[in-house]
Amino acid sequence: MKLYSIYILNKAGGLIYQNNLDPSLNRLTANDYLVLAGTLHGVHAIAAKLTPTIVGKDSTSTTSGTDPTANNALLLSTGKVQNSNTNKTGLGSIETDLFNLYVFQSLTGIKFILITSPNPILQKQHEQASETFRHLYVLYSDYVMKDPFYSLDMPIKSQLFDLKVGELAALV
Amino acid sequence: MSKKGDDIWKNVDKINSELFTLTYGSIVAQLCRDFNHNYHEVNNQLDQMGYNIGIRLIEEFLSRTGAQRCQSFKETVEVITKLGFRVFLNIQPAVENWSSDGRSCSIVLPEPNPLNEFVEIPPTKDLWYCQILCGILRGALQMIQLDVDVNFVKDTLKGDDKTEIRLKLNKILKDEVPAGED
Amino acid sequence: MSNDNIILPSAASLSTLSIADNPKSGFGYNPSLGPLSNTITPESSNILLNRKTLSLTPTSGNSIYDKNVNNKKINEINLSSLSFLFCEAVNWTHRNSKGIQDLETRLNGLGYQVGQRFLELIKLREGVKSSKREIKIIDILRFIHGTFWKSIFGKTANELEKSQDASNEYMIIDNVPLVSKFISIPKDYGNLNCSAFMAGIIEGALDSSSFHANVTAHSAPIDGVPLRTVFLIKFDEQLVIRESLRFN
Repeated sequence: MKLYSIYILNKAGGLIYQNNLDPSLNRLTANDYLVLAGTLHGVHAIAAKLTPTIVGKDSTSTTSGTDPTANNALLLSTGKVQNSNTNKTGLGSIETDLFNLYVFQSLTGIKFILITSPNPILQKQHEQASETFRHLYVLYSDYVMKDPFYSLDMPIKSQLFDLKVGELAALV
Repeated sequence: MSKKGDDIWKNVDKINSELFTLTYGSIVAQLCRDFNHNYHEVNNQLDQMGYNIGIRLIEEFLSRTGAQRCQSFKETVEVITKLGFRVFLNIQPAVENWSSDGRSCSIVLPEPNPLNEFVEIPPTKDLWYCQILCGILRGALQMIQLDVDVNFVKDTLKGDDKTEIRLKLNKILKDEVPAGED
Repeated sequence: MSNDNIILPSAASLSTLSIADNPKSGFGYNPSLGPLSNTITPESSNILLNRKTLSLTPTSGNSIYDKNVNNKKINEINLSSLSFLFCEAVNWTHRNSKGIQDLETRLNGLGYQVGQRFLELIKLREGVKSSKREIKIIDILRFIHGTFWKSIFGKTANELEKSQDASNEYMIIDNVPLVSKFISIPKDYGNLNCSAFMAGIIEGALDSSSFHANVTAHSAPIDGVPLRTVFLIKFDEQLVIRESLRFN
């Protein structure tokens, strides 16, 4: 899996970070990125409405892990890190011949979106995306949340965050 | 970097807690001077600063633990005390005094804790030295759509038998729960 | 303030005292009277016995003064807790400051109080047997750069250097200052370095050891080490003179 691009959306669907990790990608205009982010935010919410409730109750969806109660019980009893993705019924992934797209959502409503190269072995791809999201969320809480010069819900301009995202992309 | 299933506390970058204690003390002392020892205003300011921390700190908590939405306020308080206080302050407070409707309870901090160690305050009725904790809890819970009142009712620094924070759940902000959760 | 609060006559009033002057309260040394002025009379003993007092006897063996700081196990805490606290401290200081310079001065002030206290703790713990008092500039610098840094920031600092231009200037270099680890300074903030807080800690510790100095933090990034910070220590000129008198 190769990372093409990373998007971060605030809980209102506003684009607060976008990074093309593959330099060969064509750049869109700033406005197009905003529109793209808003569209994904909307499609994600619509998908949640479309999901039959039975699927929601059933924990078969690939992006969700276990159900929240079991997740927290395991967390408390073992003290071991669990999956923080709360995107259960919204748009989870788009898989095409040209690219794959994955959506992660935190309990606070922040969305991380990865655009990657396609990979024929989907199962492995999902695991990798899940690992990348975990690292990305940790980087966000370190280099964005602990920066006094960052205002919540505003575009992220931290050089350190850029640097660390770059390092993460090189590792994937 | 941590992987799923790794021990949370083991992966935490740790520092000498005394640096934290003295830094917090220095901030409170500075606030007391800035507000001319008007402790009512100092409390408000500490609470506000705590709130600003809480709304950011919640992301760290979620990203490092992978906690998911709790199904009851009891579960929330359990996660806060057993995991939240443990991860951030390396202490484990007790939970007492649940109201019959399950919407309010007390968190009792162990003594000394990393905020009040080495601390003695002049005999005054007004300063809640650890008020910042209330703001942090309020801010963090608000970000996960819980409207909760948090305040101190007892403080050993004031000669009470324990340091006790009271939590009261006002309401769950259902409209603000992000789409796609369930 | 009532009369009986005044226990000793001030220096100015001493010269005007005569043998006839007996303080109303019956207290206070009258040099004209000599030891006689301290004789307890029924009047003064009455005052003594009826005086309002504030109890200083510890009511429990649990006060902070009863605890031993020497053999206490030093707890560990999450770095993030300090980072979030510091982030908010910078945010609040920033709102109250008049500019970048002022912001750094205030952060330095916050650290100063930490440095004074931490020095006391660390010296107390070194104990009488193993500790020695640093009396040379180079010794106190080695102590700050090594033992002190390791104890408070968890690792020793990177380099310790002496300025070739000024005899009273030294530099301690830290590649990743603990408190600035997660902070990116926006471009329009110029030379701001939030490690001014750490500079304050060092300054507080140095001043308390009677090595009066000004300490400032300056960003000096090199390739691959974006947060590298130079702590410039400028000792008081008097210190250099003191040192040459003592050791030459």
